[in-house]
Amino acid sequence: MISNYLKTGWRNIIKNRGTFMVNIIGLALGIASVIMIMLYVSSELSYDRFNKKADRIARVVFRANINGEEMNEAVVMAPVAQTLENDIPEVTDATRLAKSHNNRLEYNGTYYGQSNMGYVDPNFFQVFTLPIINGDQRTPLDKPNTVVISETLAKNIFGSGDPVGKVIRVTNRDESYTVTAVMQDIPENSHFHFDILASTLGYVNAKKTTWMQSDFFTYLVLKEDADIAEVEAKLPAITRKYMGPQMIDAIGMSYEEFQKDNDLGLFLQPLTDIHLHSDFSDATTLEQGGDIKYIYIFSIVAIFMLVIACINFMNLATASASKRSKEVGIRKVLGSNKKQLIYQFLAEAFISALIATVLAIVIFAISLPGFNQLAGKNIEFYSLLKPVYVLCLIGLILLITVLAGGYPAFYLSSFNPLHALKSKFSGSGKNSGIRSGLVVFQFVISAGLILATLVVKEQMSYIQNKDLGYEKDQLLVVHNTYLLENNEDNFIQEIKNNPRVENLTHSAYVPAGESYNEAGGIFLKGEFLRRMYFYNVDENYIPTMGMELLAGRNFSKDYGNESNNVIINEKAAEALGFGQSAIGKTFQRDTHEGLQDLHVIGIIKDFNWKSLHKEIDPLILKMNPHGGIIIKSKTADMSGIIEVLNSDWNSYNPKEALNYSILDDSFNHTYLKEQKMGTILTLFAILTIIVACLGLFGLVTFTAQQRFKETGIRKVLGSSASQIVALLSKDFIKLVGISFLIAFPLSYYLMNKWLQDFAFRIEIKWWLFLLAATITLGIAFLTIGIKSFKAANMNPVKSLKIE
Amino acid sequence: MIKITDLEKYYKTEEVQTIALNKLSFEVKEGEFAAIMGPSGCGKSTLLNILGMLDDPDGGSYLFNGIEVAGYNERQRAKLRKHNIGFVFQSFNLIDELSVFENVELPLIYTGVKPAERKERVHEVLEKMQIMHRRKHFPQQLSGGQQQRVAVARAVVNNPKIILADEPTGNLDSSNGNEVMDLLTELNEAGTTIIMVTHSEHDAKFSHRIIRMLDGQKVTENVLV
Repeated sequence: MISNYLKTGWRNIIKNRGTFMVNIIGLALGIASVIMIMLYVSSELSYDRFNKKADRIARVVFRANINGEEMNEAVVMAPVAQTLENDIPEVTDATRLAKSHNNRLEYNGTYYGQSNMGYVDPNFFQVFTLPIINGDQRTPLDKPNTVVISETLAKNIFGSGDPVGKVIRVTNRDESYTVTAVMQDIPENSHFHFDILASTLGYVNAKKTTWMQSDFFTYLVLKEDADIAEVEAKLPAITRKYMGPQMIDAIGMSYEEFQKDNDLGLFLQPLTDIHLHSDFSDATTLEQGGDIKYIYIFSIVAIFMLVIACINFMNLATASASKRSKEVGIRKVLGSNKKQLIYQFLAEAFISALIATVLAIVIFAISLPGFNQLAGKNIEFYSLLKPVYVLCLIGLILLITVLAGGYPAFYLSSFNPLHALKSKFSGSGKNSGIRSGLVVFQFVISAGLILATLVVKEQMSYIQNKDLGYEKDQLLVVHNTYLLENNEDNFIQEIKNNPRVENLTHSAYVPAGESYNEAGGIFLKGEFLRRMYFYNVDENYIPTMGMELLAGRNFSKDYGNESNNVIINEKAAEALGFGQSAIGKTFQRDTHEGLQDLHVIGIIKDFNWKSLHKEIDPLILKMNPHGGIIIKSKTADMSGIIEVLNSDWNSYNPKEALNYSILDDSFNHTYLKEQKMGTILTLFAILTIIVACLGLFGLVTFTAQQRFKETGIRKVLGSSASQIVALLSKDFIKLVGISFLIAFPLSYYLMNKWLQDFAFRIEIKWWLFLLAATITLGIAFLTIGIKSFKAANMNPVKSLKIE
Repeated sequence: MIKITDLEKYYKTEEVQTIALNKLSFEVKEGEFAAIMGPSGCGKSTLLNILGMLDDPDGGSYLFNGIEVAGYNERQRAKLRKHNIGFVFQSFNLIDELSVFENVELPLIYTGVKPAERKERVHEVLEKMQIMHRRKHFPQQLSGGQQQRVAVARAVVNNPKIILADEPTGNLDSSNGNEVMDLLTELNEAGTTIIMVTHSEHDAKFSHRIIRMLDGQKVTENVLV
């Protein structure tokens, strides 16, 4: 029986090759999308789960709203770990991690450049599952100045030799560390990656007792049955107890008084949430994580792709019912019951799903490298062979069989045998109503995605072209020029004299990409106001960056010592309550030596010194050149300058390579996530419209066949080809039009939500809808038009002969 | 074998009700070969469909082997049909996607016959119909006469008690038509009851009895043998 089903199914496929190809290509594209997104999503969801205690580990984070400034930091104060372990019975272990910047390694006279280094508490390896493969397994970091290094670094420095017991040096801080163990490289799906983990026992910051400064990523291990919310509920009391007394000393205000107008506290974040659910300021995150929003978006898009392809299958199967009705009739007359026929049609859907899956795997294999690049992933082909994915694929095939084959199976098998034999069933009516509904549904998705893609593109182009308050083009940032030590000034002078250089400023503070970062408490008449950020610059900063001075003057050597003078942005003037008349006013900042008076000498126009996701915050420019340089090039081609920079740099400091970036690139990098989403959306918008149009093409083909005789008669009676095209296309175009009514409000609503991520964003204008509609209609009409044009130009005699 | 009494069938459209069968009664005995004749639209095909349990009557009684089937639902009718009735159509109604062998095999599949026995019985009947050499061909590769022989083979493979033939020679030339009529006669002589709808007086002469119909009613009945 089954072999008979499969045989008939296969021969039907061969007979209707065209329809079959439409089905298979559509299904394969849908399945390939599902496979890809399935692997992507599961890779994103796997972050940090390799830790044996993953479900019990939580990170302590800091959130505050201080005088309107929102603060979300993934780091907390040094004493937090020990305090929580002591004071909360549910906490069985607590460990800390601090990122160390600028680590130039040296061993045996060879320099190894920058390394990823962190300081961790000795119990770090009991909390996280980072297997030691060589050396001290149990207490590798129990002594000061000990380090555990990664397998890769061990191979790099020591080759095949044994690193344990060897001493490596961090040259720029002149620190020496003894290697006590080698750990496996930290898995890719970890929220942190280090090559060297040094003991905090020798780290000064680790001994700090202040609750007023945050330095440490702090992780707690909770008891098996502990409830994270209950533990979190205990944090406010602890914060008050320990921070309260220190707050009076630091800002002269009691904790209770402070909390009246402000809000500050410690919270817990489950370890497994870190990768996808973090919203902490860039300066306090270890690595740029993923975003759960995109997981949802891509999952939904994959499901849509599959559904669209399944709809094609259903529509083409029911539309071609006329071709199958005779067979159904004969089988019924010969004794087949409805159930047997349902099985038969399901068997055919199964064959299609199976072939489509094989083709999808091929498509997946071919497009995997491109996808990996796009998604920034390292998904390997053979990961698809894991039992869980194989099961998923089998499940998918069965799901498609039921989803795509189910409705046609019930529809076809319900034919009355008499009518079926005479092909007297109605092609219109309820069945074609359902078909129309499904076509509308497909185009809701396609048109919705096209609009979404246009919105993303529009926002990206807005970001590219927005007046940022500075000129981001032709700016080159050279980092860490301080490494040149005594030669720094000579180096800067040489670059300044280069004819290709239009301007140069000595500062490492840039509005995009890797930048120095400084914040401090601001006081007005001795009273704490809020925290503000500082840029340390020189007198060339404003002209080099192309910023606009609104009032007052720039820094200048003519005025002697400017260390107590500042230039503030409009937001700062507003926050300080100075408004337009800020020039000449004074406020204070918190320093180690107490409050320092700062005099406002100028106001600059607000510029986007944070990403466009965020509002512009108050900013203070201070005369204190150090760290690096920013070069404004005369021409867009900066290769000449880079060449000179390299050779000059190498003549001073051969130990470390020049580290530079192009500001425009860094700026673009800030929106990488959105750009990727734009690219992926475009890809899927194209795919969905292709698959939807494949289906449409199939349906038009059948309509043309069904109305073959009608078109012949009409032509004989004098209808023109264009009238026939209109006749055949009208109904479908109408359906596409209806789909806009559903797609656009939906897409508008969702894309507005997406735009909320940007403080600076576009309005979704009417012409975007028009454009999306034109594109969708255009493609749909092209699809329908080709087929109907062919039908319209058929010799009418042919169609009349058929009866 | 078959006894219908006051059988009625109506076709309704929104405005018009057409009477297809109007209180029709007759009987066909086991082993009989009956021909039903009449002009187009007289209700012959409707009658054959009801006799074949493809359709149900709107009134009257239909006894099949003494069982009242007038009130049967589709599932019950299908069950009775596949074991007892073979069909031969004017347009052959072979499945184009299946070979000769597979077409003939189909009724055996639906009655649950085991594969080995199926093969044996299909071969047997193909031999009998002298179409064995064509068993691997597909319907489009055969002449009309050959196609109808396959259709007859398919109708008899299950050893039905009765064969219903709806203008079995309607699409054939006279020599092929005669061949098919000879086949039917042979089957009848071997004991199978046959009811045939036909326009052809020539074909009707192969039967034992001609029932003539007009407007859904029986007008005459001539016994030929």
